[in-house]
Amino acid sequence: MFRTTLTVLLALSFVLTSCTKKRNFDEKVLTVNVSAKVKGLDPVNAGDSYSSNETARVYEGLLEYHYLKRPYELQPNLATSMPKVSDDGLTYTFNIKKGVKFHDNKCFPGGKGRELKAKDFVYSIMRMADLKNNSTGWWLLDGKIQGLNEWRDKYKGKTANYDDKISGLQALDDYTIQFKLTQKYPQFLYSLAMVYTFAVPREAVETYGEDFINNPVGTGPFMTGTYRQGNRIEYKRNPHYRTVYYPTEGAPGDKEKGLLKSAGKKLPIVDKVIVNILTESSTRFLSFENGDVDLSEIPKDNFDQVITPSKGLTAEFKHKGIELEITPDLDITYIAFNNEDPLFKNNAKLRQAMSLAYNNKVSNKLFYNDRGLIAQTIIPPGIGGHDETYKNPYQGYDLEKAKKLLAEAGYPGGKGIPEIYYETTSATGSRQMAEFFQKAMKDIGITIKVNTNTWPQLTQKTKKKQAQMFGMAWLGDYPDAENFLQLLYGPNASPGPNGSNYNDPDFNKKFEAAKIMQPGPKRAKIYAQLAQEVAEKTPIILGVHRTSYVLKHSWLRNYKFSTFKHGHAKYYDVDMKLKEKVLKSGKLKEEVKTETAKAE
Amino acid sequence: MNGNLNYIIRRILYLIPVLLGVCFLIFVLFNVVAPDPVHMMLGKHPSQDQIVELREQLGLNKSMLAQYFDIVKSAFTFDFGRSWATKQQISTMFKNGAIPSLTLTIPAFTIATFTSIFFAVIVAYFRGRGIDLFIRITCISMMSISSLVYILVFQNFLAYEWGLFEISGYEYGFPNFLYYVSLPILIWVVLSLGPDIRFYRTLILDEIYQDYVRTARAKGLTEKVILFKHVLRNAMIPIVTYTVVQLPFLLLGSLLLESFFSIPGLGDMTINALNASDFPVLKAMAVFSAVAYIIFTLVQDIIYTVVDPRVKLQ
Repeated sequence: MFRTTLTVLLALSFVLTSCTKKRNFDEKVLTVNVSAKVKGLDPVNAGDSYSSNETARVYEGLLEYHYLKRPYELQPNLATSMPKVSDDGLTYTFNIKKGVKFHDNKCFPGGKGRELKAKDFVYSIMRMADLKNNSTGWWLLDGKIQGLNEWRDKYKGKTANYDDKISGLQALDDYTIQFKLTQKYPQFLYSLAMVYTFAVPREAVETYGEDFINNPVGTGPFMTGTYRQGNRIEYKRNPHYRTVYYPTEGAPGDKEKGLLKSAGKKLPIVDKVIVNILTESSTRFLSFENGDVDLSEIPKDNFDQVITPSKGLTAEFKHKGIELEITPDLDITYIAFNNEDPLFKNNAKLRQAMSLAYNNKVSNKLFYNDRGLIAQTIIPPGIGGHDETYKNPYQGYDLEKAKKLLAEAGYPGGKGIPEIYYETTSATGSRQMAEFFQKAMKDIGITIKVNTNTWPQLTQKTKKKQAQMFGMAWLGDYPDAENFLQLLYGPNASPGPNGSNYNDPDFNKKFEAAKIMQPGPKRAKIYAQLAQEVAEKTPIILGVHRTSYVLKHSWLRNYKFSTFKHGHAKYYDVDMKLKEKVLKSGKLKEEVKTETAKAE
Repeated sequence: MNGNLNYIIRRILYLIPVLLGVCFLIFVLFNVVAPDPVHMMLGKHPSQDQIVELREQLGLNKSMLAQYFDIVKSAFTFDFGRSWATKQQISTMFKNGAIPSLTLTIPAFTIATFTSIFFAVIVAYFRGRGIDLFIRITCISMMSISSLVYILVFQNFLAYEWGLFEISGYEYGFPNFLYYVSLPILIWVVLSLGPDIRFYRTLILDEIYQDYVRTARAKGLTEKVILFKHVLRNAMIPIVTYTVVQLPFLLLGSLLLESFFSIPGLGDMTINALNASDFPVLKAMAVFSAVAYIIFTLVQDIIYTVVDPRVKLQ
């Protein structure tokens, strides 16, 4: 017995010594972490940002965002140029590039990828409309293309016929596609840069059936090698990728940052992309510190270890050659009132009082490491309609004013207000936010009862209008204020994206008029005005616009943050020689003396 | 022998009422009590017709009785269809998930059990003396620390600072998986040592004060012979009970370790299914664990007859 156990222990210690794999520096490999499971790679269901990032490595659309230019600018991708738009603003005609090939796959005759044709886009967009596919992107095109809704309704509960002709969606010839809209809608172009509308070959969908989502076949720069949704997806370069070059111009300051060094280089630059799926933030960050991945966000708990109070990198991280990129994100966080609730409906003063009692400055420090910009309206900076000079009178902590408004609303000292239910999830951060809100409301005499839910429970409550109050965050789908203002548009009430169920006929009318205007300063002014008007009615308690902090290792080149980052891996470059040198030197694990840390 | 066979068949037949019960529980939990999964699956902009269509596709518009029979059918045919979230065949997901889970849990469990018994024998031998006290205090202190602390500290020091292990990840195939599972195995072993040593020590000490030990001692046998020839053999029954009961759970993987080390096992799969309201996967896991539990208790009964000839299956 003693002897066997000893042998086992010895064998174990033998196995346990040096259990790390040897790294390989021969190929140019981009390695990244993602924080959530990837559901699969089917464009029509690439609803969450994780699936859409992965899907866009393999698939492509007619348009894309310019990699470097800011504000965000659309440019042709599979289209040869931006579309010809008819004078009435309803007809969009695109020419598509010739000679673009789908990845080699057994779904094609002889396993050879065939050429992309205009009809592939028609088919792909019809897939989005097909009710059977339950596309999470249908809202983008719902009611916008002539004949598409009719086609969708015709096949309700039946198998759709994809050979039907749709008047507003036609391939005029192999390389020309024409869209006819039901009404003017300039934001339509953004939907063609979103993953939902990317081109899929009909052969693949029909060959793989329900498994199509796990067998992606696109025209993109990468194709899937190993595909395990659970923990790792490995992509290899598409050997037949068409000729695409790195952009030669960018935004001011890009040249100085070295972002134009690869100008004119053929894309993609890396041979392989490895995506590790790591749901625990501590593990994700450790693997970045270890040099296993090339870039990382900063987990809330590591923030003080990495960032100094003056928003720079700490000496320890500078010494490792790590670089920091700070960019405002296109988003908004807020606490929603259910505006259909009898307590909040037509009770602006109560809502305003609650907004004034909520200290956003403190919550920004506590929950966002002080990296949020306090929101004055629902429109974030960086897009038309954001007015930097505007100050919302009901945003900002003012207890006296809050109490006064509360009395005016008929609840002096909070008397007469029943217990208000605040719904949240059981995640630590969310619970802390809920408790913070509870405390803030107690100061004006309002009792908040916090309900913790699982994520599915919370979704159900908000979608069925059963949540009285809850926290929300919205990340822009495209860089246009319409995408933010629609969060308060009456017809979008739950189960739509307007979870606050705010419905103001005046706002609805103005919003409908503004969203069909051509982009430009005139529309921006109307957007701004609309956002300010609605902000002062306080249908939601505005939070912050978050700022993204990204860390990258010295060997990662050409990285630029974007809210719409899908499809960007083709631009990145990894200096494998430098990576090898840094990793072998042990520099990433060197201790930095605290004196220098203090001095910085 | 005939009696044994009868017993085994009877026990396997017990599976039927138990599975029906499990199905009923699953039905109540998922089809009656749980929040509507449709809203989770349709994202942020669902339309009314999508909600109706998806409920139809998922079979949620059927009568309650029909929904219950759907569950019963899948439980008895072991065909759970596809995952709602990833659209993969659940049987494929199980196959892919079982390997990483087992490569982690079987070695971890074996090593942990043998090491614990080894230490338990030592402390039992030296009972009441310094070394016994020392190991017991160590065990209790080890048990007082949260398992998360072990994971974070080991990952930080052994994997990151000292570079002895991979921080996370998994690769299929021997010997590649060893690089990724050795640290989780080590943590599993360390986590089990505290409770296991104390448990096995109690089992052995229970035996040591039996009359037959006194007789053996009177006969003049050495402590060593008594411990290994008599006491340990008699302590085998409770040890088998304790270990075999844990076996079905090995199949289910380890929720925490798999999640922290990004090992794509069944534990990790369960957590994801929970977060995504992926009911078919959760139902499959529940049925699977019930069946595994019944089978392993049967195995346990059979092992009893091996370790103790006095036990007969009837």
